[in-house]
Amino acid sequence: MVKKKIAKVLAFRYKLLAGILILLAGGLVLLPKYQKHEGIKPQALLSNVISPERYITTDQVAHKLINRDPSFILIDVRDEKSYEDYSLPNAINIPLKKLLDEDSRSYLNQNQYDVVLFSNDHFYADQAWILCNRLGFKNIRVLNGGLNSWFTTIINPLKPSKNLPAEEFELYSTRKAASMYFGVVYPEQAKVAGSETKIEAPKRVITVQKRKKKPAEGGC
Amino acid sequence: MKELEKTKRISIAAVLFILAVLIGLLTYKRPQYMYAINTKDTLEKLTNDNYIITLNDLNNPDYVLIDVRNQFDFEKGHLKNAINIYTPDILSDENSGLFNELKETNKTAVLYGNNPQEVNAPFLILYQLGYDNIKLLSIDNSYLQNKLITKNNDIEKSEADITTFINESRENASIEQKVEDIIKAPKRVITVQKRKKKPAEGGC
Repeated sequence: MVKKKIAKVLAFRYKLLAGILILLAGGLVLLPKYQKHEGIKPQALLSNVISPERYITTDQVAHKLINRDPSFILIDVRDEKSYEDYSLPNAINIPLKKLLDEDSRSYLNQNQYDVVLFSNDHFYADQAWILCNRLGFKNIRVLNGGLNSWFTTIINPLKPSKNLPAEEFELYSTRKAASMYFGVVYPEQAKVAGSETKIEAPKRVITVQKRKKKPAEGGC
Repeated sequence: MKELEKTKRISIAAVLFILAVLIGLLTYKRPQYMYAINTKDTLEKLTNDNYIITLNDLNNPDYVLIDVRNQFDFEKGHLKNAINIYTPDILSDENSGLFNELKETNKTAVLYGNNPQEVNAPFLILYQLGYDNIKLLSIDNSYLQNKLITKNNDIEKSEADITTFINESRENASIEQKVEDIIKAPKRVITVQKRKKKPAEGGC
């Protein structure tokens, strides 16, 4: 008799447990609502965005390009027409609209290479960076000042006035050398090259040697 | 007896489990700030919407100006009727209260800073949190003799045509080369050297 009662109670308890567990499983259906909440927390995003460590200067990028640093990729986020007009050497074009496409993700979501985003000024590049940062991509940086700054510092560097310290002059000569690497031709540079190749007139040095007539030697 | 013990253990385990789940549910706090749109939608909206306005559009009574610079810059000079909310503070409680209020009363918050790049960050964060009633004022602020000077700024305007510059530099350089060509005819320098005849030396 006792055994039967116990059996009944047991049955009820198990049913109750099962019912509760099914209810809890139903709660999982609510999860898709949180899909919009993808990425890192807003507070974390805010603190990442405020910090200026994502910027890289044009001098540093020029240095990397000249030394053929293999560990980084340049990504141009402007539209294709501007990209074809001029872009940094070996830069890939990913227009801002296509930033989150599947094929672009392979460039962005990897930790082998450093990625440097750039555009005319760093406004669009920053927007791209913020979105990538929200998705948790690492190693992405932004060219400070973009191509406008590239022009004023590397392609067409400003000659320092006479009252600036020596470092400015050194910086200027480094930048001028960088600009020559990237295609700018300076008149003095061409002059030197021209004079060397033009005057091929041979300088003929004809030495006429006459052997000394040795006087008769010997003793007397 | 064995059956009794089994049931006791099972029921104790079941009760503990349910307790644990209940406690978990009760202490679960919804995250304070939740994104309202995911990144793909943000990107679409960014590239399609027109969220940038200039100084001329500011005469709308529905616009509330928000200065995202720090307090020092704000006190040096700010646009009329602007509220100061420094960028790191935009997620604080009182400021989210302010933004919620603005959203409810259908007013548009217009953010500005020293330059558009500064405003980019708070703008995007607020946009992703769901406050789509915000716009960006693209201006440059500078100070001259302690007075604030505000100018319109074209975002992402290409300031220099680099290809043309490089081509021009090539042309300029080659032009100089041609001029030299004409002036300097190649000089042929022929030097004929004759060795001096040394007089006989030595002798006895």
